[in-house]
Amino acid sequence: MINNFLYFRPESEDEVIERLKQYAAESKILAGGTDLLIYMKQYSLLPSVLIDIKGIKDLSKIDLDSDGNLIINAAVTCNDLIENNYIRKHYPVLAEAAHTIGSYQIRNRATIVGNICNASPAADMAGPLLVLDAAVVIHNGESIYEVPIKNFFTGVKKTVLKPTEYVKAIKVPGKYKDKESGYLKASRIKGHDLGICNVAVSKNNGTVKVAIGSCNITPVLLPDFESKQLDVKEVIDVAMKNINPIDDVRGSKEYRRHLVKVFIQRLLTKEEISH
Amino acid sequence: MPEKREYKYIGKSYPRLDADEKLTGQARYVADIVLPGMLYAKMLTSPYAHAKIKSIDVEKAKSLEGVVAVLTGEDLDYNVGLYLVDKRILARGKVRYQGEPVAAVAAETLEIAEKAVRLIEVEYEPLKPLLDVEEAFNERENLVHPDLGSYSYLKAAFYPQPGTNICHVTKIRKGDIEKGFSEADIIVEREYNNPSVQHVPMETHGAIVQWGIGDKVLIYTSAQSPFTVRNLFCHTFKLPHQNVRVIVPYVGGGFGGKAGIHLEPLVACLSHAAGGRPVKLIATREEEFNTLPCRCGLKFKIKTGLKKDGKITAQKLILLWSAGAYADYAVNVTRASGYSAGGPYFYENLYIDSFAVYTNQVFGTAYRGFGHVELFWGLERHMDFCAKNLNMDPYEFRKINLIKPGDTTATQEPVVDSTGSVRKCLDAVVKAIEWRGNKTDSEREKEIKSKKVRGKGFAVLHKAPAMPTNTSSSCVIKMNENGSIILNISSTDYGNGTYTPMAQVVAEELDIPLSKIHVAFETDTDRDPYDWQTVASRFTPMGGRAVVNACNNLKNKMAAVAAQVFNCSPDDFIFQDEKVIYKNDLTKFIPYSQLATGYVFPNGNAIGGPLIGVGVYIAEGLTHLDKETGKGLPAFNWTFGAHAVEVEVDTETGEYQVLKIASAFDVGKVMNYASLKGQVIGGVVQGLGTAMCERYVYDSQGRLINKTFTDNKIPTAKDIPNEFIPIFIETAHDKGAYGARGAAEHPMISVAPAIGNALRDALDIELTSMPIRAEDVWLALNNKKVLVDSK
Repeated sequence: MINNFLYFRPESEDEVIERLKQYAAESKILAGGTDLLIYMKQYSLLPSVLIDIKGIKDLSKIDLDSDGNLIINAAVTCNDLIENNYIRKHYPVLAEAAHTIGSYQIRNRATIVGNICNASPAADMAGPLLVLDAAVVIHNGESIYEVPIKNFFTGVKKTVLKPTEYVKAIKVPGKYKDKESGYLKASRIKGHDLGICNVAVSKNNGTVKVAIGSCNITPVLLPDFESKQLDVKEVIDVAMKNINPIDDVRGSKEYRRHLVKVFIQRLLTKEEISH
Repeated sequence: MPEKREYKYIGKSYPRLDADEKLTGQARYVADIVLPGMLYAKMLTSPYAHAKIKSIDVEKAKSLEGVVAVLTGEDLDYNVGLYLVDKRILARGKVRYQGEPVAAVAAETLEIAEKAVRLIEVEYEPLKPLLDVEEAFNERENLVHPDLGSYSYLKAAFYPQPGTNICHVTKIRKGDIEKGFSEADIIVEREYNNPSVQHVPMETHGAIVQWGIGDKVLIYTSAQSPFTVRNLFCHTFKLPHQNVRVIVPYVGGGFGGKAGIHLEPLVACLSHAAGGRPVKLIATREEEFNTLPCRCGLKFKIKTGLKKDGKITAQKLILLWSAGAYADYAVNVTRASGYSAGGPYFYENLYIDSFAVYTNQVFGTAYRGFGHVELFWGLERHMDFCAKNLNMDPYEFRKINLIKPGDTTATQEPVVDSTGSVRKCLDAVVKAIEWRGNKTDSEREKEIKSKKVRGKGFAVLHKAPAMPTNTSSSCVIKMNENGSIILNISSTDYGNGTYTPMAQVVAEELDIPLSKIHVAFETDTDRDPYDWQTVASRFTPMGGRAVVNACNNLKNKMAAVAAQVFNCSPDDFIFQDEKVIYKNDLTKFIPYSQLATGYVFPNGNAIGGPLIGVGVYIAEGLTHLDKETGKGLPAFNWTFGAHAVEVEVDTETGEYQVLKIASAFDVGKVMNYASLKGQVIGGVVQGLGTAMCERYVYDSQGRLINKTFTDNKIPTAKDIPNEFIPIFIETAHDKGAYGARGAAEHPMISVAPAIGNALRDALDIELTSMPIRAEDVWLALNNKKVLVDSK
């Protein structure tokens, strides 16, 4: 790593806000660092200030708010999530998707919020959070506000987040607790790999949600479907109209389109979508 | 033939001698070493695959504080090369592949060196890159090496063709190929392809060099072969051998990629330019992929004449090896694969042309299998295809044509009983997977409906060491005061596990407990005896002979002293239980420890002196191959083998899993069962990587797209077969230690075609290009329109 940078490790969120105000666009939030440090090594990002949020105890917590919504704070790692019994029991699709990120060592560092903020079209957490109708909880320095995750991504590695803002947490609505859901990902090897494509689904109170990754400039959430007269063929047709995959080193666009069809079929025709 | 005897240590399983050091992190690698006053180096590499270097401005880099030396190709008038001296230490005049080093910096810290290389300004004039091996083969104007005619090369074995991009050709001409084809009932012809891939050792290449006073050079390097590094280094810099000391500490894998010489000359020049301060260069993973060499690509054209009864009447093989920008080992891969390309089959009429062709891609080097992984993909897929064209069981078809005692090889070497048996290997693996003949179409259709289809396939293999005719090894064993042994050899144990069986040899020959034998791990050309190279799966059979000879030498020395003590003939001793025992009166004996540093009589007189055993072994009777026909005796031994697999395919996604793989090798003699089993499992997994996912992908300008682990994938623990079945056949070899043959590379060979053949059995699809990605299976199925897609 060639560039010098200032490193702060605040112990409170107030200090994060202060540093962000001070340095704004020059700074980057450092959580797991499993994406950021690679970019810095490759010279594609050269921030002059790093604000490490791992020192803030509250941000490492997985909580329930007073309304029973699930709160995944900004420094929660993939392995924290995977090993959390409440999540395994009530939101298994999150643990399942987190388990496909990197290797065990990477999952010890990589955070769920980081996966979202990195905004890769292939982000493994995006699909499940989209179909669980999650919200991104953002602190703008003055107040806290929420953005539905379906509005969070704006392009490849791009989000609505402004330089002085940071993502405090992800909120998953309590109404999705214990609801059917599932996630399928295709990759070149069964070990750590970026997906060729992925599909997540959920069913809740008559509504079916379907999200698709690696098939557009952002992860895509399809319009809701009614589960009563669910026609899988129609879902696939809508999916095909909403994705625009490319040919790359991981797979061809034709293969991606085909896999999306297969995965939607598999996820929506399983008796129990999630185990 | 080796004597038949019961062994106490040979053939048993013992844990690796280096296991604890490696597992605890105590083992010292080049990257761990820090010398006083050491500088750190960084390379600047070319963004173009083929370009003239118009100018390089290093002034800004030189003026950066902490920078001690900056070098470009213009500063270095040295040529390097293994067999064909075609390379500069840093590109000079033009660059020949994207990733080629054009400048380098030595600085007080790695960070300063990194900053400095980014300040170097290079002006290029791009040239058209040659990226297709066939195009490069036919090209006569656009040449990767216009000066090919002026390069020096090893004339006994290599034939570069100036005015072309062809840097070597090996020819085999046996029988009458045209007659063979005219006798055929049918002719089967097809082309097979392999991309370049990387070795991906855990430890990347690294070197620390200090160019000392009086041109005495000290080199620490992660090399496979310390003496070859020294020899090639001395040739490049015209230094006498006694001036150069090469130390190889623990090495974290090489798989052929660390054979020969790589970073050492550049680091030496930086040290020289820095006034003799030691300089360290450790390749990044990206450099390992993009700057250091890879495995060559291969385009393999096979044409076979067949009788209806399955007999092969003629075989014509054209191999176009993509050497990349420099000849390195590619020319020798071309040579070895040239005389091996027919595989373990008997041909009356055989015609082979194996070409090494320069292209503007990362250059190729040795990689486990030395061309055989690549050629057997084509050959064994082709044999399956021949059987299919004859409507025969591929097992029956192979049985008709496999080589056997009484036949001759491609180079017209007679095959005898002690050559080994490929038939026994094939029989064993076919039995292990319960092969019952090809699947019928109706069986297949039924399974396809369930979307999970199983298939079985197999492939045979052979490989001989690719070695000079004078390949030699030596060994020194030194007895310590307590009667224990230090064993010095210079065949680096870079993960292959050779040292443990060598300790077993000493234990066996001297009857000393294994715990009292220490094999010295760091190799030092100043202190350790000569060995050619740690390559070619040759050390156990050949180096093992040197170790046996060293033990015999030590025994003779002990017997000579004991004969004086007991006033008898030195021929009258046996060596047992750490004692020299007078065989005519077993109460008369001397423990080894009393001889170790000299025997002392009760009155104080001493005889003998420190015990040191010396053993050497050199291959005998090998010949160069005839330039026009390939006739000759190229190698020490052939090791035969076969794999058989059962796979299960998801017909909707094309994903497949190897359920079971049986692998048999005629190893002559198992030296250490656990170690050999480990070699088989490791080799199979590496072969699986090559089969399922590994490949270099270049863009239209010749830039490597996947130069990181993000997109250059290798298999993980989750990808391995469900079951491994290693099988060892022991047809004793007549020259190898204890009858043993090498088996280090062989487990990787022919894994891919066995899987390709199993996919053919499962789905009746014909895959001809490696790797076989899930997408390729899906595409092949789709093109057949067999896919049952309910949507």
